[in-house]
Amino acid sequence: MRAWTSGFLFAAIAVAAACSSSSEDGPAPSSIDGGVDAAVPEPEAFPATPPANLSAAKLFADPPIVDGQVRPAADMERYELATALFSDYALKTRAIRFPKGKAAKYDAREVMDFPVGTVITKTFSMEKDRRDPKAGIRVIETRVLVREDAGWIAYPYFWNEEQTDATYAPGGRVVEIDTIDAAGAAAKFNYLVPSKNQCQDCHHTREAEGPPVLTLIGPKARNIDIVVNGKNQLEHWAEIGKLEGLPPAAERPKAIDAFDTTKNTLDERARTYLDINCAHCHRPESSVGQASQLFLDVWNTTAVNLGVCKRPGSAGPNVGGTFDIVPGDHTTSILWFRMQTTDSGKMMPLIGRAVQHAEGAAVVAAWIDAMPPQTCQ
Amino acid sequence: MKAFAWSGLVASVLVAALGACSDDDTDNNGNNNTNPPANDAGNAADAFGGPVDPASLYSYCKDKEARYIDFKPGQEQALLDAVNTLPECTTVRLAAGTFKMPNTISVGGIKGVTIQGAGKGAKGELVGGAASTVLDYSAAVANAIGVNQTGGEWFTIENLAIVGTSNDALRVDGTTNVRIRKVRTEWATENAPTNGKYGLYPVKSTNVLMEDCEAYNASDAGIYVGQTTNAVIRRNIAKGNVAGIEIENTVNADVYENTAQDNTTGLVVFDLPENPTPGTDIKLHDNNVTGNNRANFGDGTVGNVPAGTGTFVMASRRVEITGNTYGANNTVDVAVISGLTLIPTPASWTKGNFLTENIYVHGNTMTAGSGTKIDSGNVDKDKRPLGAVLTAIYAVGANFGQTRVEPFVWDGVGTNPAANDKLVNDIFLCINNNTLASDNGANAIADLNLAFSGPAIQAAQTPGDLTTAYQLTSHVAQTDANFSCTGFTPALADVVLPE
Repeated sequence: MRAWTSGFLFAAIAVAAACSSSSEDGPAPSSIDGGVDAAVPEPEAFPATPPANLSAAKLFADPPIVDGQVRPAADMERYELATALFSDYALKTRAIRFPKGKAAKYDAREVMDFPVGTVITKTFSMEKDRRDPKAGIRVIETRVLVREDAGWIAYPYFWNEEQTDATYAPGGRVVEIDTIDAAGAAAKFNYLVPSKNQCQDCHHTREAEGPPVLTLIGPKARNIDIVVNGKNQLEHWAEIGKLEGLPPAAERPKAIDAFDTTKNTLDERARTYLDINCAHCHRPESSVGQASQLFLDVWNTTAVNLGVCKRPGSAGPNVGGTFDIVPGDHTTSILWFRMQTTDSGKMMPLIGRAVQHAEGAAVVAAWIDAMPPQTCQ
Repeated sequence: MKAFAWSGLVASVLVAALGACSDDDTDNNGNNNTNPPANDAGNAADAFGGPVDPASLYSYCKDKEARYIDFKPGQEQALLDAVNTLPECTTVRLAAGTFKMPNTISVGGIKGVTIQGAGKGAKGELVGGAASTVLDYSAAVANAIGVNQTGGEWFTIENLAIVGTSNDALRVDGTTNVRIRKVRTEWATENAPTNGKYGLYPVKSTNVLMEDCEAYNASDAGIYVGQTTNAVIRRNIAKGNVAGIEIENTVNADVYENTAQDNTTGLVVFDLPENPTPGTDIKLHDNNVTGNNRANFGDGTVGNVPAGTGTFVMASRRVEITGNTYGANNTVDVAVISGLTLIPTPASWTKGNFLTENIYVHGNTMTAGSGTKIDSGNVDKDKRPLGAVLTAIYAVGANFGQTRVEPFVWDGVGTNPAANDKLVNDIFLCINNNTLASDNGANAIADLNLAFSGPAIQAAQTPGDLTTAYQLTSHVAQTDANFSCTGFTPALADVVLPE
């Protein structure tokens, strides 16, 4: 079993800062420039061959982790999502490095077009005790996504026990996690650091003909269009010259926080949750979406493709029911069953989840139960 | 071209990468870094059956350096690292024994990868022996597929077994030119809904050869070929699965000399609704499809098939069934039905492909024992309505001299059954010149005429009402003129695959 960092002091700071440890360091230098790129040194490009040690790519400060808190390099922009994809309750630290003199292009619907040379890191950490951030945090993996001429490429890195560096782990890793859940119960499970090729199991789009193409999931404009540390993230990127074509706020579709019950309807919350957690596959632009015809993206307006009284093509046995959604009854809805079960082989998503996301399952259950009851044929 | 082990620059880069990843145990890496060139004396390749024979490689790799990289049990993590960084035309050789896999062997979109074991072993062999390589996923991370090839071209996997996956055992998705040879997929427990759904699963692929494989105890199909163009499926064995061999939404498939026994249903051809690829041009010949009577432990489409169904053709076209042996299938040897029989909403068939048409069933040999115990005696009208319908119809069959289900049953229900279509063979179903079983009786072909018999069955209150339903069906000899046609034009072309 790996050592846990018991980061008392820094963890306390993290709680105060809610979700941005880098706020202690102040904004990145590029932010201060307000879009004046000329004085900024050329950012570090990610090497053509992934380095054995992640430190060589200079994506993190030195030291990269202090008391369990991940410290992206000063020339990277941290960002958060309105609602995140669930990954076994891992904490995620997201950061992006834009190449000098180039900007992303706004897209109201799909992932934004980021310039060649963009590097995104997503670092996954596990708390020793989810009730108590001070109990310790172990940083497990960093997924590096690099925008090359031919498209995106993904590299998995696995952090060492000393939490000083991460090594290239193309085959992924299976990590035993021994933690305490929000209810105070022991939770042991095998956490998967996906292999390089498995990245594409989720990170893809695909036409009816042709191979899958690696793409991003989170960085759609609407998911990033939130205020963090007093600033709207998209507007901040536009201010520093890293985002082009940003329309006025009123014209932008925005994702919401699926767990904020104060501002949003149940339908909005459930659809948002399904979009970020399921729609990278379950949409018309993905091969499994095409095969299953179950489309859980926020743009879908066809009830049967949302799963209402829809029979799955090949969900297999013991998946909780006959129809994806039985309006009014989540207990016989396959959609709910597969997203809450931990039966290996039955659970969804197909990769990246070992434990139940109780809060997510509850939103979807309530949403199904609120639908006018219907007898499916 | 001589095969060679990792050497020079390629090897040093790879060794460095592998070394860097092995934070756990540096002694546990693949032995590629110690593997001498193939022409060295004392080559470690002894354990792997000698150097890779270039003749066994796809043509794409024959004029390229034939790399190989070797792994033994205990080197699972190194194997996983290596398959994610393979140069093209690499043969990954897995020594005899048991690999306790923590995660999927995921191969990306590269060309010319071969994964080669020491042998597939025999049914029940869940631990690799001296001459078999077993990839054991019983302790793998949640939802792990066994081997997953996505995209790419010229992929070969051979001489190994994949056991105990919670997901599919072998999945090949969107790959052009695929050979699956002498691969065994197996789950230890029979009839378990917790078994993975599919054993051997090429999907959305082009030019697929699957031969001499074995598939046992899958909770959906042991062998599945889906949304694929050009497939040769031959000399395989499928037993203990819900569906033994399933050809789904596939164009140009030659399926022959396979053994499909002891499944719920043996060898099936169908289209799913809402699927973008309507299947066509399927030839099933010289297969053994007998004794498929296993209680249905599946769900979804195959979960709707009554136990004891030899071959099931639904929503398909241009299918030739010839030279096969059928028998001892409790419900029926060959059922040919419209997609609307199971999924009655035409709108679900977005390609309009619910009809089954141009089916030619000839020259098969029926042996005794079929059609006498519908759904193996466990009829469930909700889960397997076809079994319930047959039970109702044949409940009064004896009054008409029909004591068993005929070997060939069809229903051509369309969207507009304005007239009682009893015995109007408008789907070009040709059934003739089959050798019938000794216990066959006078009739060989039943038309269920479900658009009319179905409501009569549903409304039936008394055995007399079932008689009415029976009289809405028809039962004729194989020589009936309605079915005396000889297939379709053009005839099915041979499926030719690249070498």
